[in-house]
Amino acid sequence: MRTSISRTVARILQRLALFALMLWIVSVVIFLALRVLPGDVAAIVAGTNSTQAQYEALRTQLGLDQPLIVQYGRWLGQVISSLWTGDLGTSLITGEAMSTRLASRAAVTFPLILLSMVIALVVGIWTAVASLTSPRAWVRDGLRVLAQVCGAVPALWAGLLLILAFGRGSGLLGVLPTQGFSSDSLVSAAASLLLPALSVGLITGAQFSRYTRSALLEVEKDDYLTWSMAAGMTYAQAVRSTGLRLATPQIISVAGVTFASMITGVLTVESLFNLPGLATILLSDISERDLPAVQTELLLLAAFFLAVGFVIDVVQAWLDPRMAGVSRGTEVQS
Amino acid sequence: MKKGYSGGSALPADKRAQLTRGTDDALNAQARARTGVRAAQTGRRIVQNVWWPMVSIVVALALLISAVVVAYARTGDGSHGVSGASGAGAHSHISIGLQLAPTNLDIRQTSGTALDQLLIGNVYEALLTRNEDNTVSPGLAQSWEVSADRLTYTFHLNAGMTFSNGDTLDASDVVWSIRSMMEGHLQGSNGVANFASVSAPDARTVVLKLSKPYSELLWNLSGRSGLVFDEQALSGADGSGADASGADGSGADRSGSAYDAKTQALGSGPYVLSAYEPGVSATLTARTKYWGEQALNRRAHIQTITVRYFADPQAGLNAFTSGDVQVLAPISGTLTGAIQNDARFTYKTGDGTDKYVLAFNNATGGGSAADGTAGVLKDKRVRQAIRYAIDENAIIASRGGTDAPLGGPIPSLDPGYEDLTGLYPTDVEKARTLLAEAGYSTSHPLRLRLMYANTYPAEIGQQLRSQLARVGIDLNVQRVEFATWLSTVYKQRDFDISMVDHNESHDFAQWANPEYYYGYDNADVQKLYAQAMEAVTDSERDSLLARAARLVSEDAAADWIMNYRVVTAWDKRVRGFPLTMNQVNMPLWNVTFGTESAGAAGSSVQGGAQTARAAGADTATAAAQGGVR
Repeated sequence: MRTSISRTVARILQRLALFALMLWIVSVVIFLALRVLPGDVAAIVAGTNSTQAQYEALRTQLGLDQPLIVQYGRWLGQVISSLWTGDLGTSLITGEAMSTRLASRAAVTFPLILLSMVIALVVGIWTAVASLTSPRAWVRDGLRVLAQVCGAVPALWAGLLLILAFGRGSGLLGVLPTQGFSSDSLVSAAASLLLPALSVGLITGAQFSRYTRSALLEVEKDDYLTWSMAAGMTYAQAVRSTGLRLATPQIISVAGVTFASMITGVLTVESLFNLPGLATILLSDISERDLPAVQTELLLLAAFFLAVGFVIDVVQAWLDPRMAGVSRGTEVQS
Repeated sequence: MKKGYSGGSALPADKRAQLTRGTDDALNAQARARTGVRAAQTGRRIVQNVWWPMVSIVVALALLISAVVVAYARTGDGSHGVSGASGAGAHSHISIGLQLAPTNLDIRQTSGTALDQLLIGNVYEALLTRNEDNTVSPGLAQSWEVSADRLTYTFHLNAGMTFSNGDTLDASDVVWSIRSMMEGHLQGSNGVANFASVSAPDARTVVLKLSKPYSELLWNLSGRSGLVFDEQALSGADGSGADASGADGSGADRSGSAYDAKTQALGSGPYVLSAYEPGVSATLTARTKYWGEQALNRRAHIQTITVRYFADPQAGLNAFTSGDVQVLAPISGTLTGAIQNDARFTYKTGDGTDKYVLAFNNATGGGSAADGTAGVLKDKRVRQAIRYAIDENAIIASRGGTDAPLGGPIPSLDPGYEDLTGLYPTDVEKARTLLAEAGYSTSHPLRLRLMYANTYPAEIGQQLRSQLARVGIDLNVQRVEFATWLSTVYKQRDFDISMVDHNESHDFAQWANPEYYYGYDNADVQKLYAQAMEAVTDSERDSLLARAARLVSEDAAADWIMNYRVVTAWDKRVRGFPLTMNQVNMPLWNVTFGTESAGAAGSSVQGGAQTARAAGADTATAAAQGGVR
């Protein structure tokens, strides 16, 4: 028992070291890749009516005249020290503290993603099960086709349709706000996120439905369901209890990856509904050449992706001890 | 136990035929289902136990979302609130939808007319006020005199002026603002050309001296050049105004401590900036004691104004039609159909000074050495051919027909305007002939690059490409980020043809400055411009500028695609919103939002607009009474 705990600790430490190494490599890649972009933030601030002297003064003031290695060191130092100070510096262009800026944007994007994920999981799993277990053939076929069709629809288009259907002022049922994020109350905040979350959630739900359905069929192919039925369950019961349970690791890994990719994936929806989220801030920082801000944002995104991958591994190992054995085995080999 | 079954069925694949093994797997699965989830051993139906983790996940996520949102709602400033107010009587709150957001609020360092639009006349005030017809009237200065040699300007300031933090605004603030702007080469310093000195003989008099006459001075002092800042608030204790950042960010309302000019604004205007979220929204709140109520007979009628930014025109329209914003400026000319037949709304096109300039690289002449066309744009016939080939009216029509044709560098609201659209009418045959003389034809086309920022529509580039292809020019359109355009075209001058919307007013100086990215160097134009700046009367100045502008246009130094005009849409209950030049100058103190519909203005759009503007002053008192409550 003790050896297993120490092995777990060693494994976690190993993962953390790998995590840090990956992030450092990513930081170098991000920093260098962004230097390829033409133009700089000083030119943006100075605009088209400025003199060269004005531009040079701004470059000095913003620290853009320093050598690259100094700029990199300064940025990395800021990021590392933020681990205990929480201070990610200020945006060159807007002058806001990066931490509050990102936090206020994340407070829109994460609830949106979580809401979308809940909708996607509920819709996806329910329709997948129903497409196998419904007693009516047209329901089964209909759901399968619907999942195929909806899974191929871009979220942007779904959003437009939802606005037409429910948007206040322009929709058939003018009930929901379609623009901006209101933090006045919990209800208004949820209301402003509902349509965007539905447009992402329904589409993602359709994709989940297909994944879940094929995972369930995989389980069925291996005769688990047949034997569950032999043990006395109906087919529907077998699918819901045995089938879903065995398909869970697959669903979890798809859900995890989707969750991570949604941070940027909700971009189109954020702009359609004019939500002040993380994706919009990243785009505007890139176009305004606020490179230190872009670097920090990209690095945090990379850290988030890596962390989600780590969590998926842990959850899968917990759900299915066989996976823990497999991944430990591969690690020893590598 | 765990090891027992994990060995048998780690990764099952293709075992349909192997019934025995399949049996083992199924039994294993059953066994794991029982041991893995303790609740399964209670003997109740398994079906229920599959669903409770799902339900608990959903509940947990819902709680998490609630917690995050509530936490945010508490810390948030509410600046991006959706106004759904529909109470009776005049409203004390209004939301305005705009398109271009300022990058930050530091109006002394940062370029861009979005800053002028939001802050000048609302939060900051200048020595003079700019009127809707682009003329000037008294502002912080109630009167002024100009000496006979036009070198000395004496301004008499209003009495009892204060900043919103309570600090007194007097001649010393004006002097400090102008002086630090000139010394720090800040935004607006170009507007005080030939600057010699500025001084304050007493607390209500400012004397500004020039080394040479400069006829644009008064107009410039109604914009950024004339803004007056609170020295104590901006610079903190040390008095170095150039670097206002690095403050603690909480001192906006406290006298004597520095405020962060990038994220806050503190001026003498009728509104204070109470909240600001970059790129998203800004909230203006009426000052309780505005000095201008007596001196200028100006007072803010609406208590709170939320300005929201919609980069996407469709998003702005959605917000407008759903009532989230009561004014939308601009609304795209092609989208007005959506509100045309809606009795709640009206819209009108306002004049502006936006010039879509298709600039040729006059310095190098563009082209490339590789195919022997280097310097080809120095050939006047080529430039003329391009101007004849472009069908500006077709481009304008495709955009909804709200923009005006523009034949030269000066738009109708600026001094020196003259209709020059007749100089180069669309004439494809003439263009072909000129280009043939220069040695190019459709069978032997001239390759040129057009670079412009992706803030402008892709369609324009494609229209130009097909229009020029007709006469034998193969236009390679590169639509890039604005930062790339700034770096490649504006700084490195690496371009053949560029397109940009120069929206500044009174900016003809660009054509008299060979250092500007146009690279246009014409001694006659420079001489006429210099004379215009030294002109004694406005009419003399205007005719000199008109002559210079005609020269520039005749020389085909650029093609002016159009004078972009802003279409403003508003709820009919809104009155007093500025319609002319409102992307540069948008004073909001006179705006009211009442429940009465625009009365006589109901039927025609034009009539509605005019009535709304004219009625603004009359309804002001009633609205204010309703608004006070």
